[in-house]
Amino acid sequence: MNLKEVMDKLGLELLTPELPPDPAREVAGAYVSDLLSDVLAHGPEDGLLVTVQVHMNVVAVSVHAGLAGVIFAMGRRPEDSVRAKAVEEGVTLFASNESAFDVVGRLYALGLRGSRA
Amino acid sequence: MKRFAADLHVHTALSPCADDALTPPAVVLAAMDAGLDLIAICDHNTAGNAAAVQEVADGPGEGRVAVIPGIEITTAEEVHVVALFPDTATAAAAAAAVLAGLPSYEAGARRLGRQLLMNGDGDIVGEESKMLSAASLFPLAQAVAYVHRCGGLAIAAHVDRPSFSVCGQLGFFPPDVRFDAIEISAAGHDQGRDAEFRVLGLPLIFASDSHSLDEIGATRSYFELEAPDFHGLARALRNAGGRTYGIA
Repeated sequence: MNLKEVMDKLGLELLTPELPPDPAREVAGAYVSDLLSDVLAHGPEDGLLVTVQVHMNVVAVSVHAGLAGVIFAMGRRPEDSVRAKAVEEGVTLFASNESAFDVVGRLYALGLRGSRA
Repeated sequence: MKRFAADLHVHTALSPCADDALTPPAVVLAAMDAGLDLIAICDHNTAGNAAAVQEVADGPGEGRVAVIPGIEITTAEEVHVVALFPDTATAAAAAAAVLAGLPSYEAGARRLGRQLLMNGDGDIVGEESKMLSAASLFPLAQAVAYVHRCGGLAIAAHVDRPSFSVCGQLGFFPPDVRFDAIEISAAGHDQGRDAEFRVLGLPLIFASDSHSLDEIGATRSYFELEAPDFHGLARALRNAGGRTYGIA
């Protein structure tokens, strides 16, 4: 499963068109959390994060955790400064109008799996 | 009473997100260069370098800065609370209680940066293995109550920011949590964000939350105190009402 397939299958809106999802980039897994220290500890490298937090620290934590991208659920959208930082750092951002629960359900159905404590 | 310049939120190299150049001697020198009379050392969920900074500040030299030992506690909701304590022993005991309930997340600790324990000479004497930026087990109300039981002051950190702040994490300012003051960040100061928090009727302070040497004192508050120390500050805040401690 690569980022492009995930985007297409979930009908995600690409918030960072400057970073077109690379079909060669495999998505390693996914994580859902709004507690950023938890994401820092458990977010899977080269994986996806599903969250409703849209502030700048989401990008910072994504970089430190080595995430491939972030899906903002429930129609939430970051400010442009956050978007610009993500482009600069190479973190692909997506938006979905579905809840985090539904987004995660779809990712699971595609075969992605989470981390373990 | 005299007017003292204070920066009540300063990190050291122990905080994973802070610059490794923030050694105890470097922090004291930067504070003196910035013309500060009083600083509070508040690393994330620990007070491990506070005693070393105080030791340097209490050493010989003209116009030394006074140091209040503190902890920037991350509550279970990921709200940051600046906790200030009367002495380093109390701060260390409180930090032990916070650290005991911190998940270790050792892999996460390595992702953000080094967590350097240092002595007064600025030598590295150890590294904290737990991820200091993790959320502690203390819910907000309990964290504030615990700080008060220790005889400390509890300040809502950078309330104007969307992340790691009371309103950012909870969506509202709980009226039953007895903060001693509210801290406005450097950016919030520049944007005049203090105005929207005056309604809470708590003392408003400005502090740098510095993560590098050049930020120390860049945002500060001035207090009328008998002496630049914890007890003077505590009296001032308790008698302050809704006063704003401005930059001018």
